[in-house]
Amino acid sequence: MPGRGRMAVSWRSWTANEGAKHIVMVLWLAANAGLFWKTFALYYYGPQYYYLHRMLGLGLCLSRASAAVLNLNCCLVLLPMCRAVLAVLRGSQKVTSQRARRLLDKSKSFHVACGVAICIFSVVHVSAHLANVYSFSLRYSEEFPSLNVARHKGEDPRVIIFTTVPGVTGVVLVFILFFMFTASSYGIRVSSYEVFWYTHNLFIVFYVVLLVHVAGGALKYQTNVEDHPPGCLRPNATPAGGSDSVCQAEPQFQAHFPQTWLWVSGPLCLYCAERLYRYVRSCGLVHVETVVLHPCRVVEVRMLKSGFTARPGQYIILNCPSVSSFESHPFTLTTCPTGARAAFGIHVRVVGDWTERFAEQLLSDDAADAEILPVVQRRRFPKMYVDGPFGSSSEDVFSYEVSLCVAGGIGVTPFASVLRALTEDWQQYKLRRLYFVWVCRELGSFYWFAELLCNLHQKLWQENRPDYLNIQLYLSQADGLQHLLEKRFEALNARLHGGRPRWPSLFEDIAKANRNKRVGVFCCGPRGLSRALRKLCNSQRSPGATFEYNKESFS
Amino acid sequence: MGKIEWAMWANEQALASGLILLTGGIVGVAGQFRDWQFAAYGVAAGVFVCLLEYPRGRRAKGTSVERTGQYCLTVCVKAFGPVTRNYYVRALLHAALCVPGAFMLPTVLGCVCLAIASLIYLLAAIRGEQWLPILPKPETAERPSESIREPPKNPPPRPPADQRRKRLEDVEGSSYVNPIPVTVNE
Repeated sequence: MPGRGRMAVSWRSWTANEGAKHIVMVLWLAANAGLFWKTFALYYYGPQYYYLHRMLGLGLCLSRASAAVLNLNCCLVLLPMCRAVLAVLRGSQKVTSQRARRLLDKSKSFHVACGVAICIFSVVHVSAHLANVYSFSLRYSEEFPSLNVARHKGEDPRVIIFTTVPGVTGVVLVFILFFMFTASSYGIRVSSYEVFWYTHNLFIVFYVVLLVHVAGGALKYQTNVEDHPPGCLRPNATPAGGSDSVCQAEPQFQAHFPQTWLWVSGPLCLYCAERLYRYVRSCGLVHVETVVLHPCRVVEVRMLKSGFTARPGQYIILNCPSVSSFESHPFTLTTCPTGARAAFGIHVRVVGDWTERFAEQLLSDDAADAEILPVVQRRRFPKMYVDGPFGSSSEDVFSYEVSLCVAGGIGVTPFASVLRALTEDWQQYKLRRLYFVWVCRELGSFYWFAELLCNLHQKLWQENRPDYLNIQLYLSQADGLQHLLEKRFEALNARLHGGRPRWPSLFEDIAKANRNKRVGVFCCGPRGLSRALRKLCNSQRSPGATFEYNKESFS
Repeated sequence: MGKIEWAMWANEQALASGLILLTGGIVGVAGQFRDWQFAAYGVAAGVFVCLLEYPRGRRAKGTSVERTGQYCLTVCVKAFGPVTRNYYVRALLHAALCVPGAFMLPTVLGCVCLAIASLIYLLAAIRGEQWLPILPKPETAERPSESIREPPKNPPPRPPADQRRKRLEDVEGSSYVNPIPVTVNE
């Protein structure tokens, strides 16, 4: 029984795995806090806001400070979603080190963090402006009429909101944010992804309305602070005492230049340019070469597209207008185009209504029995558009000397292209040893890549590298090991176990066999699996190996 | 779009609207604006809606993800029976609750969001969805599977060894009939 000390977090492993991510998080929080405080102080103490502050009070400072934080986050939230740019960054070996590339895996989490910050600070901003509206109404200023937003004293605040441009656009923004936020929770994404996707595409309306909202010019600053220092006395007023100076001019007020335009326009243009580029790139015609039905409801589709290149581990986004005109789904490439063979392939697991209809349209009616026979090529396959390829963390398998790849069920697809690339030419990569663990529920699932695994195993044995590839297959149902794979996959049968893998002992074996090396751990599978692996990666003690955790994420 | 469970989305929206109504009510009461009684109502209605909507319902198909600590509220909401199970009732309730929020500015936003949630609940009710509680299933006793674990009940179909031994004195008598018929392996 491993003692509790063994599972304690090892400091070196933790910094190797989680350190960079936490540094970025701290920097981001510091930027937000700094911007909030700086803007708050500016409006609280700045002389050009003296009269406005007197009218509105704390609501002014809170609303402007939260608006500044909103500017920053609305700018940053778009950047992780520029997938093509990220794929280019990932692929360029010269520009980024491997540590920086691992940060790119966390781009979706960063997007979520910025989104949550936008929601929280929107609540602060809206609450503060609600108080401001009341202040505008109650403290209508006869002295400086140009400072007012209300038309007369005591105007109904609801009328103020709904008859000014910033008010109406603000209300519209709240509703759009409400729709986007409520449809983005994990439960909705898992159960009905379409609701999430269609509501999230309202972001473009959000940005357009935001650009109009900040141009309203409701809050003004004083332009002539030198001529009229705030708190100075009118020429005919009796001095109350003290050394107040006499005003030389009436205060002039002017609305700000909308700073948000500067913050937001850059990332928005970048994102729109990227969408345009992706659209143009995906317009090329895709020819379906073969369709193969595999056991356990998996369909393999091989396609051809002129000018398409991809690296092992990348994924594409497929759109099939005859199934659904607006939905696009990501699929990892299981076969990458090479010099010899230009076709690329994906394995699609039929699990939801889009994939069901897609499979139905590809397979002919009389392929009811699940034999692994290529379907006779029909002349009319449905038209498809392929967007991509985009990068994912599995591309980094080749940049470690030792890698551990753990796949759960259909999660094996990123590693299939890696294994195929190794079959072509394993000597050109830095990788020296690969541990491949595949956990499935049904025996039939192993047939998806049984031939590929056996070929690679055979080739490595013949080229005298028997320790390069270590395969372990697990059948996780307790009573599932009643049958074995077919006779020709004898090498896999010898490596087939029943039950779940015992991760601590596996990690210990790998650590002993690869001392003082950095082992890349790649996991593509259910959450529980990745959580268990990440915990183990963080708790390994030296002088064994250091385990660096890389995780795929799709939803 | 055939199999979307609208009730799930309506539940998220109603919970968010409850929070917006609550926040607006707090702002209204704290600022002591005119008609602040409506803001106080907003606080109360917001809390009520949040408590009602916090326990997530069970999905008709697939695994349901619980919210943290929703078990106690699930039991409370379940106790009201058909009133909370039916989504028409919920749609009407939310529509009625949101109306007083329109009289004061801070609660107007919560009012409109709750109205939108009420419409989505109406859509869910028209499609025949119902609120079913997520409760932990009672543990069934672990029964070992039939095939390999049970020891065989019958001995193999042959008599004991001393009887099987060929008695050369009595070849006739040493023959026996199998008690269980033996078939050839096809």
